[in-house]
Amino acid sequence: MAHPKDKPGISRRQFARGAAGAVAGAGVAAGLAACENTTTPVGAEAAGATGAAAELVVQKPTGPGGLPLPRTDNSVTWAITDENKPVKDGRSPEQGPLRIYNYADYLDPVTIKRFQKQFGTKVQIATYNSAEEAVAKLASGAVDFDLIVGLTGANVVDLIAQKLLAPLNHSYLPNLEKNVWAPLADPFYDRGSRYTVPYVVWMDGIGWRNDKLKEDVAGMDVPWDIFWHAQAYRGKVGILDDRRDALSMPMQRDAMRKGVRADLNTEDEKLVEKAQSDLSELSGICNPKVTITDYQTLPEAKTVLHHSWSGDLLSAAFYYMPKGVKADVLSFWGPEENGVVQNDFLCIGRTSKRQVLAHEFINFMLDEKSAYDNFVNFTGYTPPQNGIDAETLLKQALIPKSLQQAVVRPDQFAANQELLQLSVAGQRFWDDAWSKFKAG
Amino acid sequence: MRSRWTWRLVALPGVAWLSVFFLVAFYAVMAVAFGNQDTLSQPIPHWNPLDWNVGYVLDTLDNFFSGGPFLKVSIRTIEFVAIAVALSLLIGYPVAYFTARHAGRWRGAILLALILPLWINYLMRMLAWINLLAPDGIGSDVLHSVGIEKLFLTMGLLDEPGGWLNGQPTTVILALLYGYIPFFILPLFVAIERIDRRHIEAARDLGGSPASAFFRVTLPLSVPGILAGAVLISLPMFGDYYTADLVSASTQTNMMGNQIDEFMRQGSEKVTGAALTLLLSVFLLGLMFYYLRTTRRAGTTAQTT
Repeated sequence: MAHPKDKPGISRRQFARGAAGAVAGAGVAAGLAACENTTTPVGAEAAGATGAAAELVVQKPTGPGGLPLPRTDNSVTWAITDENKPVKDGRSPEQGPLRIYNYADYLDPVTIKRFQKQFGTKVQIATYNSAEEAVAKLASGAVDFDLIVGLTGANVVDLIAQKLLAPLNHSYLPNLEKNVWAPLADPFYDRGSRYTVPYVVWMDGIGWRNDKLKEDVAGMDVPWDIFWHAQAYRGKVGILDDRRDALSMPMQRDAMRKGVRADLNTEDEKLVEKAQSDLSELSGICNPKVTITDYQTLPEAKTVLHHSWSGDLLSAAFYYMPKGVKADVLSFWGPEENGVVQNDFLCIGRTSKRQVLAHEFINFMLDEKSAYDNFVNFTGYTPPQNGIDAETLLKQALIPKSLQQAVVRPDQFAANQELLQLSVAGQRFWDDAWSKFKAG
Repeated sequence: MRSRWTWRLVALPGVAWLSVFFLVAFYAVMAVAFGNQDTLSQPIPHWNPLDWNVGYVLDTLDNFFSGGPFLKVSIRTIEFVAIAVALSLLIGYPVAYFTARHAGRWRGAILLALILPLWINYLMRMLAWINLLAPDGIGSDVLHSVGIEKLFLTMGLLDEPGGWLNGQPTTVILALLYGYIPFFILPLFVAIERIDRRHIEAARDLGGSPASAFFRVTLPLSVPGILAGAVLISLPMFGDYYTADLVSASTQTNMMGNQIDEFMRQGSEKVTGAALTLLLSVFLLGLMFYYLRTTRRAGTTAQTT
């Protein structure tokens, strides 16, 4: 990965934007450097260096606010500062209501009711449409929540840099160690789960109607190629409306064709542009819709081939099949390696006045029964629980065999990648590429 | 003297409201567009015009003039809106004319029927169309059986039978037309109704046929109504993004509003979003001025001739 500064010559674009931004950012960076977030391995601390010293070392790109960007080979422990300490042990939960910020339809209402009854409190949920929107609103101070559901490693640096999270006290979270897959209970983007706790896991893949497609997608050498051969399904093809997921798809295809490993968090502008032009080719081939409504459109056959999040296929099977259509018409394929496998997390808002109650909610959701109910009765997104796997669900005939791959396994995390926070410059050209694709 | 002050006082709340919620908001967009962003990708508005940084706006302009994606989207947006407005005129004028002139005792009912759909939320109406136009929906069945589908297919306005929702520009334009046409008809109806019938009688008395009386008197006199309607619907259409999103979602039908939405709500480049918003506003302001000038001229010609 090249640091954006290493690029030969500065474009007019960077020049126009650079100057004032650098000044404005310097103050933030200096303030944050004082927090002493630690990265491993050693040597990566150079990532935090600023000014003249920074030019003397080969740097990894730094994230928002000059903070390190967590990667699997560069794990980060976020500092706990004096002005933002975890809530003390042994307190009883505060009065409600517990205010939750979440995607729509991403928590089972029945499970929530059970929590309300058990803790004699109320839960209020407000929703957001995209992670970027959520972070921006939290940062603006316009919204104020006890618990935030659904953000990922692609947002964690933003959340820390903008001081939006309260640290966690694990004495309230016994279920974390007891039930959650070990690697996720101590993730590289937040060592020691100091600020975040995994909620559900998912992978990017292909969802299709096996009764409408004649191709055996999973049997293809490079299943991703199906999108570039989908002339016959023109207008009934969907691509995920998410810049990172969508642009990384052609990257995965390219890598799979060449049998190499792609870096899906690349900061190489050329690779991102290549991904964009590959993706834009699809417009001529199958005129894809760019949406995240596959969990409805696939069951209704309004789309027959979709770039999908694994959980959406399961929620389609659990919840959205029209009368007379069996769930086994849905198929899901996800790559065994070099794909996107990721988790969403739960975290507590910095300004929350109900932190103990919020901890209790997290612990409640990490309980196997709650996690299971939330999964099979509502969201379709796999909880990273030791006690829940695809075999159990198959045995209970909850999901058809064609969707077995949509249940993510713990071992898939190692061979695949997470879409993580980029440097500010990197984010910019990913955004530009996305805008170009969206322009058609 | 007193009455002048009374009226000023009465107008004050409205003017204050507009100032606060339009001018201040608009200035905020300018301050962001001519501002910068910090290393957290949050916009830093520059409130003082002396500090304005033109980088982002120039960048956005450059994107237009070098034939970048913004140009493509702008052309598409103008195309969609122009066609939708033209169709509104074609369909809306007869309705407005009939209602104003020949509806008789049905006039109230027709006006009610025009306003009735507006009782239902715009999004709801669009969502209804999604079900109607689905391959097995009633709407696409009807379009098929009355031959409209076939007509559209032969004209190349539709990709395949039943494919109304397959990301078709045609569907987006028709949805825009459906969504906004009442706002076109109503001001036009008022304009036609207000035309002094004696002008038309005079035209007939002087030997004009009904057709020439219409083309030489009624139509020119209803130009201000046509323009008012066209402006009233084209302004919101230029900023519309949910219609294209709901009935198509293809990149081939994305409009300017979709690009702005992408930058403002989803992405991390709010400054570019603000710059786009600003440029769109300038364009619309141009349209607005053209409208004001034309109506003033139309007004004076109507009086002097």
